[in-house]
Amino acid sequence: MKREDIFSSLSIDKSLANKYDFNPYYCCIESGLNDPILIDGKEFIDLASNNYLGLAADKRVIQAISVAAGKFGASMCGTPIATGSMILLQKLQKRLARFVGFEESIIFPSGYQANCAVFMSLAKQEDLIIIDHYAHASLIQGVRLVGCKVKPFLHNNMKHLRKLLEKAAEYKRVFVVTESVFSTEGSIAPFDEIVKLCEEFNAIPVIDDSHGIGVIGKTGRGILEEKNIKDFNGIYTASLGKALANAGGMISAKSELIEYLKYSCPGLIYSTALPPPVLAGMEAVLNIVKEEFSILSERMWRYKKLISGCLIDSGFILTEGQAPITSISVRNVEECALMAKLIHANNILVTPFIPPSVPPNESKIRMIAGANLSEKTIDKALNIFKKVARELELK
Amino acid sequence: MTLEERVLNVIEENLEEKAEFNVNTDLRDELGLDSFAMVIIVNALEDEFNISIEDQHYREIKNAKDIVNALREYCPDLKEA
Repeated sequence: MKREDIFSSLSIDKSLANKYDFNPYYCCIESGLNDPILIDGKEFIDLASNNYLGLAADKRVIQAISVAAGKFGASMCGTPIATGSMILLQKLQKRLARFVGFEESIIFPSGYQANCAVFMSLAKQEDLIIIDHYAHASLIQGVRLVGCKVKPFLHNNMKHLRKLLEKAAEYKRVFVVTESVFSTEGSIAPFDEIVKLCEEFNAIPVIDDSHGIGVIGKTGRGILEEKNIKDFNGIYTASLGKALANAGGMISAKSELIEYLKYSCPGLIYSTALPPPVLAGMEAVLNIVKEEFSILSERMWRYKKLISGCLIDSGFILTEGQAPITSISVRNVEECALMAKLIHANNILVTPFIPPSVPPNESKIRMIAGANLSEKTIDKALNIFKKVARELELK
Repeated sequence: MTLEERVLNVIEENLEEKAEFNVNTDLRDELGLDSFAMVIIVNALEDEFNISIEDQHYREIKNAKDIVNALREYCPDLKEA
């Protein structure tokens, strides 16, 4: 194949974006996650970011980042096994581990990388990985890289999971992989039941708590606190760029396992460590979460209920979810594009999900209202949704 | 139970949501199954018929009729009611 042909074969079908003269992806945001945000010089309400607690542009976080930049500079220019192993990283790893209920943790440059890397280090070809049908792309990518048998189970379906575990005796090791909060719809995994099944069948539970850490649990410590799971004997991963409002990903587990990963996980060893200002920013966020989680959480949930209630009353169809995520269910990608365009035209930024991010015929428009938004902003958003519903003649 | 009924039952029991379909329904294009949903069904078929389905055959499956035909071709010993 000629080089020109190779490149020309790698084109993206943009017919949908061209048809509606609207592409919601890769828009250029010109401000921080403020209330409002700026896009093309216009003010928008941010219902698209994962800034659940609204701390991404908090002055205290910015101050901590500035101080760390002044003291340590932009980067340690090394991996966590080398010069990246600095005091802020080591302190934060310990603190994050304690926060979610573990002995130790390691921090990766991203949550995606943590999920991809962990399976390559722990699973072998003779193993079996059982994974929730709707698990995040990073988990799916991670388990596929191993090259072992992969069996998806029906979403949050414990009967199906049990059936697969009952037939797993021939495999050397069995991993059961899921997410805590499924981010496109807001459903929460029955992880307490999954842990019990893993104990019964001697399987290793792996949980991605990216949309749970800083969001669920009485004090924001995520899925293990939410489900009251003690002495968790499995693997915990999470993104640090959502409610914790910074960047990176983490893996937590028993000390021996983390020690093993520190010397055996290429995704960790060969990636430049997170820069000191980011680590300091995360420390600042954890300080705020410790003091103010109940206030921020109460506001986040109230906004979710207001938005969901307004959308239902206006005739939108929502997916049922237990997390502070509101997801409009649409019939197809065309409807998704049209609805997202109308909402965007009214200066609200939302996240449209179309296949392959979601299963075919299950396109969604997701909204997360951060605790940094004002009551006035939420009121404005509700009025816009009513207007959009009228334009779409939903009722 | 006929082979056709057994295959349709396996598919029905391994869908995320109830759906109307028959032997000619395209599992991907009409029923909207993604790659993992197809793997769930293939794994269930392997258990049901105690067989191993190669990747190449799995990719060729479009509908329940393809599965029934493949079973008849590759597993002639399967008994049909």
